[in-house]
Amino acid sequence: MELDLQNPLTTHQYDGVPSLFANESDHMPCLLSFQASDFRCSIRRTALSLISQVKFAYNLDPFLVYLSVNYVDRFLSKQEILEKRPWIAHILVVASLSLAAKMINSDLSISLSNLQREDGFEFDSQSVRRMERILLSTLRWRMRSITPFSFLQYFISLLKIEDPSVTQCLKHRASEIIFSVQQELKLLEYKPSTIAASALLCAIHDLTPPTFSSSDAAITSCEYVDKDTLSECFGVMQEMTREGYGLSLDASTCVTVTEISVLDRQRTSSRSEEGASSSGPGFPERDNVKRRRLNGFCDNDRTFQISQIQQCN
Amino acid sequence: MDKYEKLEKVGEGTYGKVYKAKEKATGQVVALKKTRLEMDEEGVPPTALREVSLLQMLSQSLYVVRLLCVEHVDNKNGKPLLYLVFEYLDTDLKKFIDSHRKGPNPRPLPPQLIQSFLYQLCKGVAHCHSHGVLHRDLKPQNLLLDKDKGILKIADLGLGRAFTVPLKSYTHEIVTLWYRAPEVLLGSTHYSTAVDMWSVGCIFAEMVRRQALFPGDSEFQQLLHIFRLLGTPTEKHWPGVSSLRDWHVYPQWEPQNLARAVPSLGPDGVDLLSKMLKYDPAERISAKAALDHPYFNSLDKSQF
Repeated sequence: MELDLQNPLTTHQYDGVPSLFANESDHMPCLLSFQASDFRCSIRRTALSLISQVKFAYNLDPFLVYLSVNYVDRFLSKQEILEKRPWIAHILVVASLSLAAKMINSDLSISLSNLQREDGFEFDSQSVRRMERILLSTLRWRMRSITPFSFLQYFISLLKIEDPSVTQCLKHRASEIIFSVQQELKLLEYKPSTIAASALLCAIHDLTPPTFSSSDAAITSCEYVDKDTLSECFGVMQEMTREGYGLSLDASTCVTVTEISVLDRQRTSSRSEEGASSSGPGFPERDNVKRRRLNGFCDNDRTFQISQIQQCN
Repeated sequence: MDKYEKLEKVGEGTYGKVYKAKEKATGQVVALKKTRLEMDEEGVPPTALREVSLLQMLSQSLYVVRLLCVEHVDNKNGKPLLYLVFEYLDTDLKKFIDSHRKGPNPRPLPPQLIQSFLYQLCKGVAHCHSHGVLHRDLKPQNLLLDKDKGILKIADLGLGRAFTVPLKSYTHEIVTLWYRAPEVLLGSTHYSTAVDMWSVGCIFAEMVRRQALFPGDSEFQQLLHIFRLLGTPTEKHWPGVSSLRDWHVYPQWEPQNLARAVPSLGPDGVDLLSKMLKYDPAERISAKAALDHPYFNSLDKSQF
């Protein structure tokens, strides 16, 4: 059975939800203790930027990308000592993508060999297999990652929305947010379910603002949700998405380097310890991601439905 | 494999041979299962990766035998094989029931113990089902016991391949005959979590009786055993039964009183058993619903 991040238990009921909540912490990276000088920070930066490079070059399934970043993060948070070799990030990326592709059942072999060729780091297949094995044993074969996507449908069900198109819109937007904030170190301290609930609240706040307070009440009354942690995470996330989306709306045609550096500095000052890592090489790329996604979002017919909802309310 | 000292062969699991072994460094006794999962030039095969990680996820439950780790071992041809390392439990429900039937001191299983074992079994089965996994081979040999702590754990989830809804067809020849659900025996191609609940019912009755409820030695005999006790199924009680692939004309038996088959079991227990042995899979009680059955009212559930 291949892994479906949105439905990791393969059931269509919510019977498995309690165990998802009970076990989610096992699938969480904990990179908070990282010092900016920690070699792992620079591995992470390199790895994430490599992954987004492949993602765009080969138009990879975003869930596959999400899963492989999850493997990278969990690996790095468990592996204390690493040889300081420049190729470590590269082989880690190749092994993570390869395992994620096997879990999700997609064929990546061509993209992976192309990546290695273009990148200048080519590994023989034995080394890659060895890295896969190291990755598997470090993650203790817990490759069915519990991610925010595992909880999204459950939280949406709490809202008792009758119109399926509204549900679709919210799910779509919340998923976009979850994808776009994955590399934010600041958010790694929150459990996947908290990320899911926050992203959904952000989506509601953006798309159906009049229903925000009732939705917020429905989600926070859920027995698995800690109200304070959720509101804290929501705050952080809203700030991030507001920055991201705001930027792309203001300058929808292009984002100049200056604007990015301005934003960079703001972030650095507001979150001193993570500032250094979130302003890494992958950062301008990420804002591009947001802009592209947002454009895509406006182009499709959902926009029409969203405006209707807002008027109706 | 130098990390482990093999102590003895303890059986043949679904995957292959099982050894009792000791981890040299810690002295921990484990069950080593050699799998047929071989690495190829592509590394870990995707099916092995998905199955083992599923097993890993399920073994988070207290009522499922814990997968401790996975070892890669090079076989004679230099190809790495996967060994699954499980926690070791020294007995299983079959041996336990046998020890109460024969030997120096034959005696019934204490009713509270039956109640507790059945509750844990339903917990474990509910856990598997909530994760979209059917066991499909539940039998007393596959239920391991920690006698001192009174804990029961489900083992050998090897064939419990995940299913997606709507259910796919599966190959037959899975469940040991005695615990095999009638829809499987009759050639139903779509089966569900209810097949496991039938097995749970048979195991429940066996704990009470200390002998198997339906000890058939062929598929046909197995059906006759079932029909003689529960009555030959009809379209009225089980819509669609006569269109199942292997349905034939059978002798017509009337249902017997189920309580007579399990004389020492009280009315609540008999009621639960009858719900587990419903002919129509759609009517059969689910593991989750079974946990709330009045039979368990007298059980202290806080300990689970």
